[in-house]
Amino acid sequence: MSSRTVRRVVFASLGVLTMAISACSINTGGPANNNTQAAAGKPANANVPSWCGSKQISLALADGFGDNNWRKVTVGEAKAEIAKCPSVTSFSYTDGQGNTQKAISDIQGLVAKGTTAMVVFPDAGQAVLPALRSAFKAGVVTVPYRVSPGGTAGQDYDYYISTDFKQAGVLWANWLVKVLNGKGNVLNLGGPPANSQSLAEYQGMQSVLKNYPNIKFVGTTPYEVTNWDAATTQQVVTAALAKYPKIDAITTDFGAALDSAFPAFAQAGRQVPAIATEDANQLACDWQTQKAAGKGFQLFTVSSQNAMSRLAVDFAVAKASGGVIPKSTVFPQSAFEDSVSGQPHPVTCDKSLPPDAFVSSTLSQAQQIAALK
Amino acid sequence: MSDTAKGSLMPDTSDPTPVVQSGSDGPEARAWTGRASRGLVTIIIATVALFVVSLVVQPESLSRSSIQGMLPFAAVLAIIALGQTLVIQQGGIDLSVPGTVSLSVIIVTHYPNGNSGKLLPAILLAYAAALAAGLLTGWFVSRLGMSAIVTTLGTNALLYAAVLGISGGSPTSTTSAMHTIATGQFLGVSHAVYFAVVITAVVGFLIKRSVAGRRFEAVGANPAAADLVGLRVRRHQLGAYVWASLLYCTAGILLGGIVTTPGAFQGDSQLLPSVAAVVLGGTSLLGGKGSPVASAVAALFLSQLDQFVLTLGVNPAASNIVQALALAAGVAVYTVNWTALRGWLRRRGSVRDVLRT
Repeated sequence: MSSRTVRRVVFASLGVLTMAISACSINTGGPANNNTQAAAGKPANANVPSWCGSKQISLALADGFGDNNWRKVTVGEAKAEIAKCPSVTSFSYTDGQGNTQKAISDIQGLVAKGTTAMVVFPDAGQAVLPALRSAFKAGVVTVPYRVSPGGTAGQDYDYYISTDFKQAGVLWANWLVKVLNGKGNVLNLGGPPANSQSLAEYQGMQSVLKNYPNIKFVGTTPYEVTNWDAATTQQVVTAALAKYPKIDAITTDFGAALDSAFPAFAQAGRQVPAIATEDANQLACDWQTQKAAGKGFQLFTVSSQNAMSRLAVDFAVAKASGGVIPKSTVFPQSAFEDSVSGQPHPVTCDKSLPPDAFVSSTLSQAQQIAALK
Repeated sequence: MSDTAKGSLMPDTSDPTPVVQSGSDGPEARAWTGRASRGLVTIIIATVALFVVSLVVQPESLSRSSIQGMLPFAAVLAIIALGQTLVIQQGGIDLSVPGTVSLSVIIVTHYPNGNSGKLLPAILLAYAAALAAGLLTGWFVSRLGMSAIVTTLGTNALLYAAVLGISGGSPTSTTSAMHTIATGQFLGVSHAVYFAVVITAVVGFLIKRSVAGRRFEAVGANPAAADLVGLRVRRHQLGAYVWASLLYCTAGILLGGIVTTPGAFQGDSQLLPSVAAVVLGGTSLLGGKGSPVASAVAALFLSQLDQFVLTLGVNPAASNIVQALALAAGVAVYTVNWTALRGWLRRRGSVRDVLRT
């Protein structure tokens, strides 16, 4: 057996799997982005958003990986945003298919094609930095988002649009304090070992929970490794239920995988505890099913942030077309559903959307169904 | 290894692994039926030992809910390991496990899309796809003599393309009927376990106790000799890939029922454990004799090991080490020449005695 081949398969598969997880991308804590100097641009006319300048441009979205529900909806959001600005005369999309080499040559190809501006999802992180830099140096407006490519804004690319996963942890923890009345055991599930997103979320929770010594983490900290895989999640939860007689809440950055673990609770004769996670239509619908079956549980979600691509598009278009550059490069984490307070939204299962849709997406139902096709 | 060919159809002396010493079968051995192969005995002892250790160190890992959570996954792995055993017995290795399992999962979840009425056609479609994949791989390997690694890797890529084409990479929940079929319980044990036990018994019986099975092993042990005695070597090799593919498909369908929201690449994590189960079960990676039952028991061993380590709650690095050590110990049983080692230790001991006097 060629171990190299096997290893390649495993790595490729792991890569694909990792990508397949919706909002779960790795943020290695990119450079501080203060490149939000006062914008000199102005909108093309009164009927378009301020970021849409008058200069005609071509825009591209270079995705490091495109084949999962999260990416598809996110690209749908980007397209809907672009449609608002008539100055963007052409749009192209490339899918790196989880292959770093392809992602790099996609970026180079777009530069060679004469694209004016490009939004990049740099899945491979640092590995695509040289390609971004050469695009930037060639005068293409380059805006990476969500995964830090390293480097510095203004030197290697124009802007880096980031989000703070710690903030998600803070939101979860604040809700936990409320719903647990300051006392209880919490099981935290995360992705692959040592991924910065799960780690940041844990740190965010810690920053709040350190003031509540009666709320304790059970199981492995910072998080139980699930690799964002439904089967592994099920096994991890089964083990945790066997080991800890009392689990009052579960936090996880992949809620849709967690509902595969619901049968494990039934098997153990236990109630599903309070859950804090990211929104997923599947989970919301299962929440309703469980509630209807008399096994209701408390649920809190943060937005899956599909609209983040819109902010990246705004920056790229504004810079290239001479529009007003938006204020902040940070896309905020926001609460989405809360079964206790119903604020900002009650748990929302949209039966007209497929289970892999995101109710928190700003796309219309029809747009999202089209995006997921 | 002097008894390698004793009472065996196979004039095979080229196989250097001691596994073939098991000598449980063949005309002579058949007289004392019921004697298990060395691989089977070893893995059963190891599994019992693991359960004892689990009981002592981490009794929660043997709680009812824990066992009920673990067994369905063990059943899936066991069925996959049976298929892998067949291929490895023919001197091959099947890297298309992830593709076949994932495609089966995707077909039985995406095609019915929650509608249990469409489940049966979906299952038939999954089997048809697996059959096609098995025939393709088997044809390339047996007729064109292509290397199994390359061919199955290629098939896997094709299957992944199909997975992406159908699913777009996103998960769909399983139908309620499939969930019941896989995880519904009879006498407190989930259906998936019964599937695995029955399939293991059938495959084990066919390989070890039927004429066709004897031929199959003979072809795997020494294709050239088998060809000389008039066995259809290529047909047996082709058969191994086809049956294996159908077994993976069965496992995939069950997995689709067990994991209620299976991801698009749910088969990914099954490849290495399937090979590990075959090796732990004592089947030589060079082909020839093998014990399907031992592979299935090894699947149980690996699944319980997983569950045990998970329940221990050690960090992921340590859990990888524990699993690696268990595997190394399992492989060492077959590959280390224990007689020579004992002799060497004895010699050293006597040298020390001599020095001391």
